Amino acid sequence: MSSVNLAFAKELKAYSEDTALECFNCGTCSAICPLVHDNFPRRMIRYIQVGAKDKILENANDLWRCLHCGLCTHTCPRQADPGEIILGLKRFVVANWRA
Amino acid sequence: MFNPKEIIHILANNVRQTQSPFGIPKFMANTWFKDLALPEKGEYLLFTGLMYQFAPYIETSTQYLEKYEDTPMADYLKYAKYVPAYLSGIGLALMTPGKEKKKARQPLKNIAFLLEQSKVDFCYRPDLDHYSGILLYDMGDQAGFVAHAKKVAHRLQQAGIKKIITIDPHTAYALKELFPKYTGIQFEVTPYFELLDLDPKDCGIEVTLHDPCFFGRYLHVSDIPRKVLSNLGIQTSKIRNQGEFTSCCGGPAESISPALSNDIMDKRVKELETTGKPIIAYCPICLGNLKKSGANVEDLSSLLVRHA
Repeated sequence: MSSVNLAFAKELKAYSEDTALECFNCGTCSAICPLVHDNFPRRMIRYIQVGAKDKILENANDLWRCLHCGLCTHTCPRQADPGEIILGLKRFVVANWRA
Repeated sequence: MFNPKEIIHILANNVRQTQSPFGIPKFMANTWFKDLALPEKGEYLLFTGLMYQFAPYIETSTQYLEKYEDTPMADYLKYAKYVPAYLSGIGLALMTPGKEKKKARQPLKNIAFLLEQSKVDFCYRPDLDHYSGILLYDMGDQAGFVAHAKKVAHRLQQAGIKKIITIDPHTAYALKELFPKYTGIQFEVTPYFELLDLDPKDCGIEVTLHDPCFFGRYLHVSDIPRKVLSNLGIQTSKIRNQGEFTSCCGGPAESISPALSNDIMDKRVKELETTGKPIIAYCPICLGNLKKSGANVEDLSSLLVRHA
């Protein structure tokens, strides 16, 4: 079972713009992502929204599959900037590794 | 897939110790200008960011990574951090064929020639030409990127540089968008093709242009090379994913998962080959990756030099 950390979205502010809560989970980012893999990046954004910090850390390696190509950000209808969110999560995980 | 933590550790260490993500000393990687008499003073500084120069070394290291990905040998990567960066860099340089290093120098020579042809007042200062740190940024090593970017930006500022010509999309993005944001230092940054003013021709040929993500989507400049080509009578084929909607070549995943990189590359090559025309790339990462697939691909500068 995962624990839920309601302050997680705030914690991430130190690593990227606070746009994850703009996402309404339409899935456009996952549909256009070249990875076409396991609901990426939508799943990661959902984890932020529900405060599933542990889940992000458990699946952290998946973040580095992202090519930073920017197609998700370019097509997001909510300007949630999924590409930047993934980059912010990478920064967060790197900082955790180094802590 | 390799462990990103280990890969980031190696890259960050290399940049800290040698200012190169691959540990290759600059005097070994940056030699393209030596048989050219390029001016040391000019309105613009030509700043290569060393990305074209690194391309053959990336190819060599990817060949090894490809061999060991998802094998028990991949675990030994964690010991790589104990090898001094210069040592591993020199090793990589020695393992890379001279023929490939020579080929990688050609686009840079082409670009200098094209700028001269276009009467651009530019200079080249190898002492000011540094790696931008962009890979650290992409990998999420924000502290490493910012520390490196500050060093590079300060050196340029101290030398009184105001206007910069970049060549590849990654360096262009770093200098134009990231340096002002994270170092507080701003330069006027222009990709080389934006400054080209070549005599009109009627070549009557058609090519398929592969737009790199950073030029197409991040910097919105993919219409400019099309205009330069059109001026020479070179048409560009329409493909499904181009310009702002270009598809990734797979290159950015090379260091973490060559297998994933190859999957993405295969998809993109299929799209590009639907036209049956020669493929033109204008990024060293895209060029190297698309070439790996065996596709008929060359750098934009090579095509331009042939017809300028």
